[in-house]
Amino acid sequence: MITAKTIVCDGNEAAAWGAVLSRPDMVAVYPITPQSSLAEYLSQFIADGILDAELLDVEGEHSVLSVLHGAALAGARTYTATCGQGLAFMFEPYFRTPPLRLPIVTSLVTRDGITPQCVWGGQQDAMTVKDVGWVHMYCETVQEVLDTLIMAYRIAEHRQVMLPVNVNHDGNYLSYGVCRMELPGQAEVDAFLGPKDINWHVALDPDRPMAVDPLTGGAGGPGPALFVSYRKGLCDGMQHALRVIEEVHDEWALRFGRRWAPLVEEYKLDDADFAIVTIGSMTGAAKDAVDQARARGERVGLIKVKTFRPFPIEAMVRAVSKVEALGVVDRAVSFGWNSGPLHQEVLGALYYGRRPIPAISFIGGLAGADLTVGHFRRVIEQTAAARWTGPGQAPIWLNEND
Amino acid sequence: MGNAFNTITFDKGRCDGCGDCMTVCAKLPGSAGRSRLSVIVAPDRSDFELAICRQCGQPKCVMNCPAGALAKGEQDGIVRWEGAKCVGCLLCTVGCRYGGIVPHAEARQMSKCDQCEGDPACVTVCKSGALSFNRAGALYNRVGNLEDLFAPGLSACQGCNSELLIRHTLRHVGPETVVATPPGCIAGMGAVGYNGQTGTKVPVFHPLLTNTASMLTGIRRTYKRRGRDVTALALAGDGGVVDVGFQSLSGAAERGEELLFICVDNEGYMNTGMQRSGSTSYGSWTSTTPVGKRMHGKSRDSKDMPLMMMMHRCEYVATASLGFMDDYYAKLDKAIAAAKRGMAYIHVYAPCPTGWRFPSSATIETCRKSVETNFVTLWEYTPDAGLRFTRPVDNPIPVEEYLRLFGKYRHLSPEQVTHIRQTTVDKVKHLKMHARAAEEARQANDVPLKGE
Repeated sequence: MITAKTIVCDGNEAAAWGAVLSRPDMVAVYPITPQSSLAEYLSQFIADGILDAELLDVEGEHSVLSVLHGAALAGARTYTATCGQGLAFMFEPYFRTPPLRLPIVTSLVTRDGITPQCVWGGQQDAMTVKDVGWVHMYCETVQEVLDTLIMAYRIAEHRQVMLPVNVNHDGNYLSYGVCRMELPGQAEVDAFLGPKDINWHVALDPDRPMAVDPLTGGAGGPGPALFVSYRKGLCDGMQHALRVIEEVHDEWALRFGRRWAPLVEEYKLDDADFAIVTIGSMTGAAKDAVDQARARGERVGLIKVKTFRPFPIEAMVRAVSKVEALGVVDRAVSFGWNSGPLHQEVLGALYYGRRPIPAISFIGGLAGADLTVGHFRRVIEQTAAARWTGPGQAPIWLNEND
Repeated sequence: MGNAFNTITFDKGRCDGCGDCMTVCAKLPGSAGRSRLSVIVAPDRSDFELAICRQCGQPKCVMNCPAGALAKGEQDGIVRWEGAKCVGCLLCTVGCRYGGIVPHAEARQMSKCDQCEGDPACVTVCKSGALSFNRAGALYNRVGNLEDLFAPGLSACQGCNSELLIRHTLRHVGPETVVATPPGCIAGMGAVGYNGQTGTKVPVFHPLLTNTASMLTGIRRTYKRRGRDVTALALAGDGGVVDVGFQSLSGAAERGEELLFICVDNEGYMNTGMQRSGSTSYGSWTSTTPVGKRMHGKSRDSKDMPLMMMMHRCEYVATASLGFMDDYYAKLDKAIAAAKRGMAYIHVYAPCPTGWRFPSSATIETCRKSVETNFVTLWEYTPDAGLRFTRPVDNPIPVEEYLRLFGKYRHLSPEQVTHIRQTTVDKVKHLKMHARAAEEARQANDVPLKGE
């Protein structure tokens, strides 16, 4: 039985411990940089008997998620991790997981896309699959990786959610960054998670025979209507998730003493004139830059997005209502709008909140590039200026001249 | 359900009039020196007829007998003669129009066939294959009362043997099963149902075309972990097996996953409009290997999926054809047992009336022809015993007789036919190499090692 203790580990090991403490029945693995050590930790944990789970060491990410589909339909709690090309290869079962309402938890150790060939960090992989119905939560620290992973099962298996959850941690920075971490005890985690509740709604079980995924559709009649009920149910589940994510984070804070902003974190925002918007591990350097700017007398704050899907629109509207300009830093590119995906979400929130303030798109940290305090100093300066000049048409590429 | 009975069948097209059947029959103890069947030869030896007891369902001989000396067995259906009761009136012979019961004056008995109590000597001795023992009756008795676990009214094309196959298979595998039917004809005919209804009485699902073996793996492993023996059954078309589903199946085979995987090979994507797959045979017209000025059907041979599965050293691999149902059932028995230890794979060759262009009434006949020409070979494999032919055809009829059954081959040039003839021969030769190696290994194992 694992007892609470302090350990030193990196983000991949933290995710593996989070999975161990969540007691999945089945873990499927296929290696890909920078996720590989996570798969190795899990395999070793199972080999050593620390985790009692089926280990599916299969022949590719497509099968990784597919075996977990089968297992979840038979009632198993499941876990895996992937990123980059692995996620791309996994996409066919990936985008079927939410409408099947399977509460599978998967870590995305985010990585930039090819081409050119790149195995370093970046959020292009996760951002590319943001709109198929998985819950996406981005972590800032190693400790948050472990805590969020355990919370993810509570969220995924909530009866009003029943959706797969991605717990995302930045490749390289969080995957390999080593620091102190508080490991909770198994008994406390068991009490927090409660009994498994996986396939009460959809099952492949001879004791409860049903057809899973009958053909549905057509030009009219019951088919399209049934299909709409599936789609609406999925949208409802996503909206319920916003509330459940908050509730679960509250309970985690009560039980374990660590409080993480569940949807959107506001940092030094209440008296800010303008703010920068961040996501993931870059937030640490960004907060340092904000502190330094504050010391210089700049009234700057920070908004960090943890939950990106479902997008916490109300929380974001509340946050942006406090400032006059925004600098949004993305670690990925949207090729539709010539800016970053987070930037577009913020623009949507500004329209939703009837608040047409300047919002600049910054793109940085691609392909593993450092996002330093220096980079965020530029973000702060240019955002401050945008209050008077308005935003430019093109994004600002932070590492272009590094 | 009533009893059905096995029968001795006669294919006069194959008979060469050698008479071995009569010779062997005459030597049997109950024959008293006179054969109980007769092959009647036309004077120019161009035609043959068989006189033998048909073991009729409502035998005239029995009805005519005033002494109760003839009776039809309730269990095996054989009409038996009891000498102690016979009064020698010969009314039985008047009743029979098949020459199936005749007096044998010297032996003071009525001569008639008793099927050698389940193993007819005449069939065993017949080299030409004209005589065969049809065990479908025993099969019916064995499975006829099992519940059909598919709903009535699946919307398969007329003459589709996939429906026949899946109904037989599932009733035999039984209800403690989860069935995967990836996109294709079997799912399309309504096995997973439409709009929330289902066509199956056991749990059934659409996997992706690509991940049937993987999803079933997750199911089987989860139940096994909980101590439940749930059969994970795939009823998959060839596209989801040899093409886009190959990776997951190969991975599952390598890991020894305990699956009962049945590939229903109709040589293409028939459900989506008859496009070619990796399993489409050479020369076939399909909607993506059309026939025109520059293209003449498929230009490549098909992938040999069952052989590839054999190379994975699965627990059990077999080929099957529904023209030979008893062969299929025997293999299904072995596959069900093997799927509790590892991967069991059956590759069923399934002619498609719609896509191959032949009358829906001819499906079973095309199955038979495919085997009799060696276009399709029936064999099985286990890691211990190696490959063994279950229905070897040593004197195949010309493959052209198979090809001419189908519209999809109508355009074939003589060169294309030659190619098919040659690859058919080569394929059998290659399989025989494996069978021979297995046989040699068996014999070598029988030789005691030195010092033993």
